[in-house]
Amino acid sequence: MTIPSRPEYVGVIRLTVSAIANRIGFNIEDIEDIKVAVAEACTNAIQHSYKNAKNFYVGFEVGIDSLGIIVKDEGTGIKVEDVKEPQLGELKEGGLGIFIIKSLMDEVSFSCEIEKGTEIKMVKFLHENY
Amino acid sequence: MSLVINKNFDEEKNVWDVALKGEVDIYTANKLKETLIDMVSEKPQDILIDASSLEYIDSTGLGVLIGALKRLKQHDKDIYIRETKVNVRKIFNITGLDKIFKLEG
Repeated sequence: MTIPSRPEYVGVIRLTVSAIANRIGFNIEDIEDIKVAVAEACTNAIQHSYKNAKNFYVGFEVGIDSLGIIVKDEGTGIKVEDVKEPQLGELKEGGLGIFIIKSLMDEVSFSCEIEKGTEIKMVKFLHENY
Repeated sequence: MSLVINKNFDEEKNVWDVALKGEVDIYTANKLKETLIDMVSEKPQDILIDASSLEYIDSTGLGVLIGALKRLKQHDKDIYIRETKVNVRKIFNITGLDKIFKLEG
């Protein structure tokens, strides 16, 4: 999907990914996790896009027992190694998004090229004992 | 869905009562930020947030709350957040912010 790089469209992606996760059979708690993680990735894509970037991209990979989501932008790119885990008590306003994604999803990978953009891929597995 | 903010200063208890209804995300976070900054500038007192109708919060929303708390801490005041829904509470827990804000109920 190609999405306009504007804040008002993140809510649309949240609804879309919730519907897809529901169709696959994830339970409500997992759907909520996926929804939050994807929204964080979209927020990142919008915040780190070039001012003139009109769109970013969201792709879904539906597996037998998994849902993979790829969020890709054509922004300035971030150095993944520069993203530190938030320290308790440090009270920093930024840097929480990627930490939240890593906490909520089963697999997360980043690829990033400076000046070319960032791609975040995340996977949630459907667990059998539901 | 958007965000509705109802604020009221309780003269008797000398605290701000704020009810958040809807979602705090990249789209609505600025509105919350402006409201909280105005409140702290007007009267730097404790802020009690009723989160019982807050359906969703993300890192941008947390960032706004942290920014407001920093301003309040300069006056030795706090932010109390009441009746968070399970999904909202989870975001506070995994980010460790449940130890920074006063979460109640």
